[in-house]
Amino acid sequence: MRIAVAVKQILDPEGITVNRRRERIFINREERIINPADKCALEAALRLKDAHGAEVIALSLGRPSADDALREALALGADQAVLISDKALAGIDAPTAAVVLARAIERLAPCDLVLVGQTAADTGGDQTAGRLAELLGLPQVLHAVTLSLDGERLKVVRLWDGRPIMVAVAPPALIAVSPLAPPARYPHGARILNAYRQMGVSVWTAGDLGFTAEELRPNIESRGQVFPPERELGNVIEGAPEQMAGEILALLRQRRLI
Amino acid sequence: MDFTLPKEYELLRRMIRDFARQEVAPLAKRIDIEEEVPREIIRKAAELGMMGVPFPQEYGGMGAGELGYCILMEEIGRVCTSTATVIGAHTGIGAMAIYLDGTPEQKKKYLTPLARGEKIAAFALTEANAGSDAAAIRTRAVRDGDDFILTGSKMFITNGPIADIVSVMAVTDPSLGPRGGITAFIVEMDWKGCSVGKVEDKMGIRGSGTSELVFDEVRVPKENILGQFGAGFVTFMKTLDVGRVSLGAACLGGAQAALERSIQWAKARSQFGKAIVHNQSIQWMIANMATEIEALRSLVYRTAWMVDTGQPFTRYAAMCKLYGSEVASRCISQAVQIYGALGYSRDLEIERMFRDARIAEIFEGTNEIQRIVIASDIMRQEGVRISP
Repeated sequence: MRIAVAVKQILDPEGITVNRRRERIFINREERIINPADKCALEAALRLKDAHGAEVIALSLGRPSADDALREALALGADQAVLISDKALAGIDAPTAAVVLARAIERLAPCDLVLVGQTAADTGGDQTAGRLAELLGLPQVLHAVTLSLDGERLKVVRLWDGRPIMVAVAPPALIAVSPLAPPARYPHGARILNAYRQMGVSVWTAGDLGFTAEELRPNIESRGQVFPPERELGNVIEGAPEQMAGEILALLRQRRLI
Repeated sequence: MDFTLPKEYELLRRMIRDFARQEVAPLAKRIDIEEEVPREIIRKAAELGMMGVPFPQEYGGMGAGELGYCILMEEIGRVCTSTATVIGAHTGIGAMAIYLDGTPEQKKKYLTPLARGEKIAAFALTEANAGSDAAAIRTRAVRDGDDFILTGSKMFITNGPIADIVSVMAVTDPSLGPRGGITAFIVEMDWKGCSVGKVEDKMGIRGSGTSELVFDEVRVPKENILGQFGAGFVTFMKTLDVGRVSLGAACLGGAQAALERSIQWAKARSQFGKAIVHNQSIQWMIANMATEIEALRSLVYRTAWMVDTGQPFTRYAAMCKLYGSEVASRCISQAVQIYGALGYSRDLEIERMFRDARIAEIFEGTNEIQRIVIASDIMRQEGVRISP
């Protein structure tokens, strides 16, 4: 089995303060980490590798510093790492990023599974999984927490409204792994050193993937940032279910909503 | 001059820090109370290569050198001194002696399982009447055919109760003294005649077992002579030299933890209508702690670099141990002061850190011995020979 895992390097949210009053985001400590959900996706891939044998390829679209995220993936147990990095790709939007990732994954074909994190802890876009599945023509399972192989089928426990349910899918497929999935293992110290000293990260440019400047032109233009207004705390209704239902009904009628 | 930590070491530090915070820190209080570092922690640490950080990968080590080892000791020292002591006595001196002076066969047989953490090492030098005066040891090894018969008793041996393999120093020729009359041996504790004596009831590092080791006519094959016959004193001094650097690193971790907790508490604690961090007296304590910690950090990592690049480092290693233990004690004592009565309470870990810190001024060569080491090295350059 060949598994491609897309990992994004993000600024550690713990090093960031959001100041609402001044409408600014302060970076107190500039530390870059693997997006937590992507790290869970990598762990899910490595567990399949441990159980059934697999070739795990980590790929990342990002700035040159994403090399560190990929070295960490190698240290954790990935077999290969591909960094898609190019000045021409700086500042691309989510739709274009998905197109670039899709083409890179096609270049790695044949992949039986494509794993991504459900959501990025920086932008919170939640777009990559759906867009990638569409571009690659793959069935998708979202919010996955555990993956196991059952013959030819992949059994996935996914969260549905916070509760786990099991679905089955026949590879090739795309699975978006929840940040609530089992966290990544600790990498062995020797593998950390070897990931930097002995293993390699392939670097692909936009040109390598055959992109023209026109294709990479963003659809979205950024004109700055504003903070959404702070929401006031709503009314909290407590009590027995019938009593609460009655109160809600009364409130809705009072506001002429029903 | 470049002080940047190589990227692989940054990632290594992050892994070890996560491990220390998630796997060791939650158990630190229990380790102190139950007087034992759970085998489970050692097993988990071993699986990640942490029981053999400075040793080459060909012998089952991590291959991260003294730099990687200091990072480990700093990060573990931040959360649990008992655990740092178990790892330190095992790696920094017990197995280190075999790494430094062992033959390729000895390394294959003994260093490999030690570096993998499958076996635990200890370092046995101190005796009832030979502490700082290490050359005064009385444990004897008498030749008997191709073997030696080892008899004697070692005191205050860190990891004594759990050690599988011990580097032991014994007198092989009483007439020659430390120059030629002392030999180091590798001893397996499950050999006939080896036993664990009295286990110490200590002030601090209570999770790290310290005991007497008794050798009663233990038959040691000559293949287990460590280093040159008669040159055991050199082997042991060389080993202690390296061990002092990482001990300084563990102290650095303890001091850093004290500083972080002090800042946290000074921000949270309010008196006279304001957080105590706004009092100049507290700010000065924090400034002093931070300055000493930064000086210690530079000293420790510079010395680790000297070890890894093969430069003479004896003087600087002694400084790491001397200054490190004093900075840790001072910073933790200041932290107790900032926490006030709460710092004196067993409810908080500051109290445990205070008890744990004191030993670093004593073991692996007292701080008085460190000053002698430093002064002799300085005087040697000035053409003056001093003896203790």
